Amino acid sequence: MPTSTHRPVAVFQVHPAIISIVVLVALLLQTFLPLKLPLARLMDFPLLVVIYFALMRREKVFGIGLGTGLGLLQDALSHGYIGIFGIAKAIVGYLAASASTRFELESLVARTVLTAAFVLIHSLCLTVLQHALLESPPPFQPIAIASTLLVNVALGLIIFQILDRFRRPA
Amino acid sequence: MPVFIRRHRSFFTLLAVVIAQVLLLSLQITRNNHVPLIRYWAVEVFDPFERSLGGLMNVASTAYRTYRHLWHAEQENQELHIQLVAAQAQIQRLGEQAGETERLRALLDFKNQLPFQTMAAEVIASTMGNTSSPGENSNAISIDKGLDSGLTSDLAVITPEGVVGKTLAVFSHQAQVLLITDPSSGAGVTLAQSRVQGILKGGSNGFCDLHYVMNEEVVNRGEAVVTSGLDQIYPKGLPVGTVMNVGDGNIYKTINVKPSVDLNRLEMVLVVLKPAAAEQQALNGIR
Repeated sequence: MPTSTHRPVAVFQVHPAIISIVVLVALLLQTFLPLKLPLARLMDFPLLVVIYFALMRREKVFGIGLGTGLGLLQDALSHGYIGIFGIAKAIVGYLAASASTRFELESLVARTVLTAAFVLIHSLCLTVLQHALLESPPPFQPIAIASTLLVNVALGLIIFQILDRFRRPA
Repeated sequence: MPVFIRRHRSFFTLLAVVIAQVLLLSLQITRNNHVPLIRYWAVEVFDPFERSLGGLMNVASTAYRTYRHLWHAEQENQELHIQLVAAQAQIQRLGEQAGETERLRALLDFKNQLPFQTMAAEVIASTMGNTSSPGENSNAISIDKGLDSGLTSDLAVITPEGVVGKTLAVFSHQAQVLLITDPSSGAGVTLAQSRVQGILKGGSNGFCDLHYVMNEEVVNRGEAVVTSGLDQIYPKGLPVGTVMNVGDGNIYKTINVKPSVDLNRLEMVLVVLKPAAAEQQALNGIR
């Protein structure tokens, strides 16, 4: 699956307006859906949006910016400290953009593996940050992390198919 | 050094962003301050969208619930309609069974009161000499008992209301009954009050005519007509009908009699058994 770094890779663009709308919808769903659907508490729409656009744009700075911005907004709309989601999503955005040049992203297997890896990295980042910064961090729950991983990978594959319709080659 | 930084610009950007946010977190933790201003702005910006989405979801949820309720109501309506039709059919069936039970009970009571032996039979067809369709003009009926039940010809057929007719042709499993309204039938009768005797024959329009009553006799309209027993077929004293019209003829009166039995609505009848036939029925009962 890894490809040569010299091989030309396809770069896609998405209209900034569409990115804005997708970001807005992701944040709204993140705040609203758990009220109606308990399973949605495991879902992380902003994270999936960061992963998708970072992979498609293949720009590390863009990935960092999008991850930071979405993470901070998610922090602001939650009740925790502002910065925890920001740091975790900035790291994921950077890593996703870095990985995008090395993998064939049209492959379903590659998408699944990469999404799983980034969701896991995000969960671990959150856990580490919470244990490092909070006085009483939540206990480490591998089952919760595994559930989050499964739900978000499945959700990501659906969302990525939808977002593929809005991209165009750069 | 600047070349190294430029070369790894993205990594240093990440580093700067992470450090900045760590500092922000430290600031919040040390001052126990959750940066309400940033949160305030974010909430203010997203509040209209959240409200709109909430309203939209509520409308969608209400519409969906309404649709589901309507769908369930439609389903329930269909099920109830089916149940209603079934219940109506059952009520009708039970009503018919109750009516039949009542008729059979009346017939049984009547049978037990009679001083002679009878056999219950069910009317299975209505026949007529010159037409095959059952109806008002039918002058014969078929019953479900025949030779195998010990029936013979010329046996009186009655109901609790009165005389029906007599057996005419008897087959293995059924018999034909000639109604008293048939022109070829004849029965010896007596007027209940005046005790005047005559011969009853079939007339027209479902009525009977009473023959051989002299003009001098006094016959009143509405007088009951009963069997006289002189014909050796019908036992004495069974109701036959009521005098409807009385008029004088050349020698004999012209008398119309309305049969006491509604011959168009016969379902169960009793066949009066002669002694030999009664013995045969008793033997069949023992077997």
